[in-house]
Amino acid sequence: MKKEDTVKLISAEGFEFVIDKEAAMVSQTIYNMLTSPGSFAETQHGEVTFPEISTTILEKICKYFYWHLQFASGKETEFPIEPELTLELMMAANYLHT
Amino acid sequence: MESELVGLCIEAACQSRESVEKWRRQRRSLERLPSQLADALLRRLLTRRLLYPSLLEVFKHSAEEIDLRGENSVDAEWMAYLGGFRNLRSLKVSDCHRVTSSALWAMTGMTSLKELDLSRCLKVTDAGIQHLISISSLEKLYASETGVTTNGIVLLSSLKNLSVLDLGGLPVTDQALSSLKALTKLQYLDLWGSKVSNKGAAVFQKFSKLSFLNIAWTNVTKFPNLSSLECLNMSNCTINSILEGDGGKAPLSKLIFSGATFIGEAEAEAFIYVETSFLSFLDLSKSSLQKFCFLPSMKALKHLDLSFVMIGDDLVKHIACIGVDLKNLNLSNTRLTSAGVEILVGHVPNLEVLSLSSTLIDDVAVLYISNMPLMKVVDLSNTNVKGFIHRAGAEPRSVLSLQALESLSHLEMLNLEQTRVQDDALKPLSSFQELRNLSLRSTSLTDLSLHYLSSLPKLTNLSIRDSVLTNFGLASFIPSRTLKMLDLRGCWLLTEDAILSFSKNHPQIEVRHELVHILPADNIGSSRPSPSRSTSRTLLVNKKLGNIHISPCFVDQRLKYSKQELLELQYSSIHASPLDRGINTSQMELN
Repeated sequence: MKKEDTVKLISAEGFEFVIDKEAAMVSQTIYNMLTSPGSFAETQHGEVTFPEISTTILEKICKYFYWHLQFASGKETEFPIEPELTLELMMAANYLHT
Repeated sequence: MESELVGLCIEAACQSRESVEKWRRQRRSLERLPSQLADALLRRLLTRRLLYPSLLEVFKHSAEEIDLRGENSVDAEWMAYLGGFRNLRSLKVSDCHRVTSSALWAMTGMTSLKELDLSRCLKVTDAGIQHLISISSLEKLYASETGVTTNGIVLLSSLKNLSVLDLGGLPVTDQALSSLKALTKLQYLDLWGSKVSNKGAAVFQKFSKLSFLNIAWTNVTKFPNLSSLECLNMSNCTINSILEGDGGKAPLSKLIFSGATFIGEAEAEAFIYVETSFLSFLDLSKSSLQKFCFLPSMKALKHLDLSFVMIGDDLVKHIACIGVDLKNLNLSNTRLTSAGVEILVGHVPNLEVLSLSSTLIDDVAVLYISNMPLMKVVDLSNTNVKGFIHRAGAEPRSVLSLQALESLSHLEMLNLEQTRVQDDALKPLSSFQELRNLSLRSTSLTDLSLHYLSSLPKLTNLSIRDSVLTNFGLASFIPSRTLKMLDLRGCWLLTEDAILSFSKNHPQIEVRHELVHILPADNIGSSRPSPSRSTSRTLLVNKKLGNIHISPCFVDQRLKYSKQELLELQYSSIHASPLDRGINTSQMELN
């Protein structure tokens, strides 16, 4: 994977997730951060920090990005969500517009 | 708009009682929940029947809008929890019959509540209003058809922030109304069915911002002259005066005078002095008006309802001259003829909905309608339309009038119930690409009609009532994939087995017929009970018939049977035991 094709998402606890840019762009919020012409630090370093999102939730979000890409390309599987994660995950999803 | 993952989370959170238990103790998350997520989660819990009073409490910091309309379980215990919701802005509990006056006690002193809907909560009385007057933030209050009386209404005058007040169906007297004159912020006031008369109506002048007023079914006889009024409903009132003195220049956009009686000067002059240049909606159905010389000044009309009015073709020229923006025109139950429809042609370029039900029109009108290019909905029910036009020189029954409607590329809905159309006349319908909704009702329609209609690509609702469809015709009907509802009421030749087997083959279609009662969706198709001898035979027969093409020359199915046999069949289809009927069916189909 070339560095410019990936993006680093950092959780509240400092855990880093390196994922494909294409996957991260499933989130409208990240898409805006990475594509807006302004001088977002995110655009230059390909790094986004989410001080409000815990590692567990961010991991789930990343899984969702990839599931979404697969789903969009016609692979119809279910995305499992553990009930105990629903509240935090829904808030993160709401923030990320995904 | 809710994002996709949010939707999946809400779905997962409301999966079962167990899943709710997994998150309901996450207090810190619940406190941080944005209101639109809390409201959506609460709504989903309610539709999944997982919401109960003590679970409500977890939303007390987050929920802002709660809609519990029609929930029978909502009672004092629910209200006790809801009273503690410090950020709640809107609460709708209309039609919750267990909400009583004492249940409202819990709401005393709520500080954020702006909107409360108590419509048809019959047990809410004056005592309940007593609890509400402490909520000074209240801006919208709906209390129609509750148990509130004049004493309670007088109390409302202390809710100074009210801009919307619905007191429909309450015994509001002139005196009670005059006590509300302190509510100067009112924009919307609903007083239908109240005891208000002209004397009390003088108070309306105090409401300088009033834009919506409903005084239907009251004793008010004067058209109120209010400078800010946009929408006025005086249905079923007796009106003797419209605007005295210098005419007010209210920006009226919607007038509803359905069933109103106009007498005296109001009858002669009607809306002549009313500022109507903004008027887009006018309903005069069932009113007593007979002169319509005011119509030409209503240039902005989009929706005009003149049904059940004593008018004929002579009025149509008035409509034609204001037809440019007209989208919806209802002339049903008038003395209109095809000549009247001719006058409209070319003057109503934007017309989308036209009802000519129960008028004197015939097939010539159908040709005129085909010249109205944006037409979406046409109602020709209960008219003399036959589907054929007699032309000199041409063979009788050779010119099909419905063919003309093919040029209407937006036509979605067509009603031909209780007309004189027969099978042949419906043939042109098979090429109507946009038709979604078709209603037919005639004793002369047979299986052939159904055959013509099977090629309609977008049909979702088909009604073919009182016809002589046979089991054979139904079994060989191949409906379009989009069909959701098939109304076969009154098709008395059909048997229960034939209808059930059709439903099994097409589980997505809701079939209506006297012999079909409630067919639970999961009962069809998925779990088939062991078939009895008779039904298995029927199914077999149907399967075979499915491949047979219908011959183009159809015979009226009634000709197959003698009158005596038909009477017996009618009797048997209603009263025979299932087994008898099954054998009957199979024999009939094998014929």
